[in-house]
Amino acid sequence: MLRFIINRIFQVIPVLLGITILVFSMLHLIPGDPARTMVGIEASAEQIEQAREELGLNRPLHEQFFSFVGNAIKGDLGESIRTSLPVTEEILNRLPITINIAIGATIFATFFGMLFGIIAAINHNKFGDGLTMVISLLSVSTPSYFLGLLLMLVFSLHLGWLPTIGISTPIHYILPIVTLGAQAMGLIARMTRSGMLDVLRQDYIRTARAKGLPERVVIYIHAFKNALIPVVTVVGLRFGGLLAGTVLVESVFAVPGIGRFMVEAVLIRDYPVVQGTVLVVAVSFVLINLLVDIIYGLLDPRVRYT
Amino acid sequence: MKKLLFFSLILMAILLVVGCSSQDNSGDNASESSGKKDTLIFAPNTDAVILDPQHMNDNTSEQVIRMIYNGLLRFNEDSEIVGDLAEDYQVSDDGLEWTFNLKEGVKFHDGSDFNAEVVKKSFDRVINKENGLNRYQLYEMIKEVEVVDEFTVKFINFEPFGAFPAIMAHTSGGILSPKAIDEYGKNLGELAESTVGTGPYKIVEWKKDQEIVLERFDDYFGEKGVTKTIIYRPIPEDASRVMALETGEVDVIQQIPANELKRLEDVDGIEIIKKSSNGQRQFRFDLTTEPYDDPLVRQAVSYAIDRQAILDHVVPGLGELSTSALAKVTWGYTDLGVIPYDPEKSKELLKQAGYPDGFKTMITTTDRYIQGVQLAEVIAEQLKEVGIEAEIIVKEWSTIVQEWGGLTADEFEQGIFIMGAGPSTLDADWGLRPIYYTAETNEQNYGFYSNKEFDSLIEQAMKETDLDKRKELYKRAQEIVYLEDPVAFWLYDQYSIIAQRDKVKGVNVSPLSLITFEKAFVEE
Repeated sequence: MLRFIINRIFQVIPVLLGITILVFSMLHLIPGDPARTMVGIEASAEQIEQAREELGLNRPLHEQFFSFVGNAIKGDLGESIRTSLPVTEEILNRLPITINIAIGATIFATFFGMLFGIIAAINHNKFGDGLTMVISLLSVSTPSYFLGLLLMLVFSLHLGWLPTIGISTPIHYILPIVTLGAQAMGLIARMTRSGMLDVLRQDYIRTARAKGLPERVVIYIHAFKNALIPVVTVVGLRFGGLLAGTVLVESVFAVPGIGRFMVEAVLIRDYPVVQGTVLVVAVSFVLINLLVDIIYGLLDPRVRYT
Repeated sequence: MKKLLFFSLILMAILLVVGCSSQDNSGDNASESSGKKDTLIFAPNTDAVILDPQHMNDNTSEQVIRMIYNGLLRFNEDSEIVGDLAEDYQVSDDGLEWTFNLKEGVKFHDGSDFNAEVVKKSFDRVINKENGLNRYQLYEMIKEVEVVDEFTVKFINFEPFGAFPAIMAHTSGGILSPKAIDEYGKNLGELAESTVGTGPYKIVEWKKDQEIVLERFDDYFGEKGVTKTIIYRPIPEDASRVMALETGEVDVIQQIPANELKRLEDVDGIEIIKKSSNGQRQFRFDLTTEPYDDPLVRQAVSYAIDRQAILDHVVPGLGELSTSALAKVTWGYTDLGVIPYDPEKSKELLKQAGYPDGFKTMITTTDRYIQGVQLAEVIAEQLKEVGIEAEIIVKEWSTIVQEWGGLTADEFEQGIFIMGAGPSTLDADWGLRPIYYTAETNEQNYGFYSNKEFDSLIEQAMKETDLDKRKELYKRAQEIVYLEDPVAFWLYDQYSIIAQRDKVKGVNVSPLSLITFEKAFVEE
C-alpha cells in the first residue's frame, strides 16, 4: 500500500512541472503588454520601459521562469502588477472563500445527488425515477452562468428570499453553492442510480430480500455501500472541477474568491497573479486526485495491484 | 419509498425557509434622526486598484480618491475651477510662477496639519521621476515647489503652462498626508491604513474585491458629508449588478449595460440619471496607410456616416451627437455642428481624391468599449453605401492598448479604429495635445496625425495664460482636426449614467464620469 502511495506521489511531480511550464509560456506567447496595461494609456514610453524593468519583463524568458519556480517553492509568487501586493497573501485571503463554496457545493451535490440517485433507482421506471432524472439532466446541462442568474431572478428578485451578491453572511453562500454544485449533483445522481440498479440486480440482494430483511436495510446497508465506489471517484474529481468552476460563479455572485481574482488578472495580463492562481488551482486539483486515488485504493483492493 | 422523496422535498423547503428568515439587511441600518439612512451602498463594476492619487489609473480608484483627498483646486458642479485646499491663486506675468494661498486649520484623517510644507512634500513625490508614479507626466512641467510661508506655496515651472489650474484640480493633485508618505513611500494607498487625505470621508476598511467602507470625517474643513457610511461593493457581472439594484441590496450602480437601460427606466423604484460627460466616442484614422493620408478621403468617410441612426439604434440613450473634437463640458469647446450624413458628397469627395469606386479598408475595434463591435458593424454597412469595403477586426483590450503605444509608423496598422477620449483635466490642452500633436511613435497620438498649423496653435495655447486668447487658439485647432484635416470622425458625446433607487438623493455625477457621495443620502 505504501509503495502504491509513494508511486502515485512521484507521478504527480512531472504533472506539476508540466503545468508550470504551460502556464508560464502560454502567457508570454499571447500578445498584450502588462507594463503598458499597468501604467495606463496616458503614459509615456519611458514610463512603460521603467515599469517593464521593475517587473523583470526585460530579462530572458528562462531566467524569468526559473526565478518564478524557485520563488514559488519558497511560497513567494511575486507581486501583483495591478495592486503591487504579494500574490501569495492575496491568494491566501481569497482561497478560504473559494474552498468554502467548493466544499459546500460538494456536500450539496453529494447529498442531493445520492438522494436523487437512490430515489430514481428504487422507483426504477416509475414517476420518481422520471422526475429525479429530469432534474438531474437539467442541472447537468444548464450552464452555471445562466443557472446563477436564473436562481437570482427567482429567489432574490421575485421571491425576495435570498440575497443576490457578496458573502457577508452564511445565507449569502446558498445561491453560489447551489449554482456551483448543480452540475455535479446531476452527475452524481446518475452515477448513483446506475450503480444502485447494478447492485440491486445482484444475487446477494435477492438473498437479503429472501431472508426477509426490511427493504430499508437492504437498500442502505447492503446495496448502497457497494454502489458507492464509482460515486467516490466522481465526487473527488468534481471537487477539483468545482474549484475551477468558481471562476464563473464568483463573477456572477460578486464573490471575492480566487476564481474572480483569476479572471480579473487574465483580463489585464497580471502575470504573477495568473501564474499564482492557476498554479494553486492546478496543484489543488492534482492533490485532490491523488487523495481520491489513495482512498479508492483503500476502498477497492483491486486498484492497488493494477 | 415515497417517504424518501417526501423527506428530500422537506429538506429543500427548510433550506429555503432558513434563507428567507435571516435575509441580510446590511442596507437597512438604524437611521439617524433626520429620516435619512446612515449607510449608502454603491456598486461599481470593479474594485479600486490603488488609492494613491499620484499613481491611480482607473475609474473606481479615482472615485474613491475624490471622497478621501482634496487638491488645491477643484471643479465645481458647473465644471468651473474653484479653490479647494487653496483659497485662491495668482500667476506671474511671465506665466512661470503660480502662487497658491492655502486654507488654514485643515487636518488630515491621521491628525497631521495641512500647510505649505505638506503641499511641497506631496508634489515633490510625484515630480520625482525615480518614484515611477503613473501620473508623473501630468506634472512634468513643474520645476520646483517652493514654500513661501506657512500657508503660501509657489510652483515654479519650466515653461508657461496655461492649463495649470486644471491639472491642480485633477484627481491626481490630491494632497497626501506627510506621515503616510514617510511611512509607506511608494506603497501608499495600497491598503486602507496607508490611505490618508483631508477629504470629507476617511477610509475605515478595504476588503479587496469585496468592499471599501468610508466613514464621514467629522473634522472636515468644508461642508461635512451627509451619510455616515458609504460602502463601495464591486459587482463585476453586469446582469448581477443590475439585479442587486432591483432587489435593493445596493442603492446606486454605474456601468449600466446598454441593453438594460431602457428596461430600467420603466422599473418602479429605480431612477436613471444622465449627465453630459467629457467622454466622446470616435473612430480615428490610421494615417500611416493609404488612402488615409489624403484629407479628402477622411472627409469622405466622415460624410458617409449616419450618426443619428447610430445613436438611435446602436447606443440609444447613451449620449448626444458630437459637435466638435471636444465634448461640450470641456473647457475650450467650440460648437462646430454635427457633420451631416451626405453620401452624395462623400462619393464626390472620393472621386476627387481618385477613388471613384471606393476602396478596401479595415475597422479595428474592441468590445471593451460599449457596443464597440456593433458600432463597427453599422459603420461598415454605411461605408458600403459609398463603395468602401471594410473588414472588421475585433481585438482584445490588452492587445489593442499594446498597439497604441510605442509603435512606429511602419509597424502600426489599424485602418479606422475605435477610440474613447476625454481629457481628465476637463481642459482643451489635455483633450487635444497628447493625442493629436505630431509624434515619432504612437504612444498617445495613436494614428500618427500630424498637422503643422495645429501643432503651432497647441504650442501657443499651452503657453498662453490669458483665457480668452487660449480659447481662440483652441477654436482654430478644433476646426482643423474636426473639419479641415479630420483626425477622426466623432459619433457622440457620452453621458455619465448611473441607476439608483428613487429614495437616493444628492449623488454627484461629474462630467469626468466620477460618481461621488459627499451630499448623498438614502431616504427612509
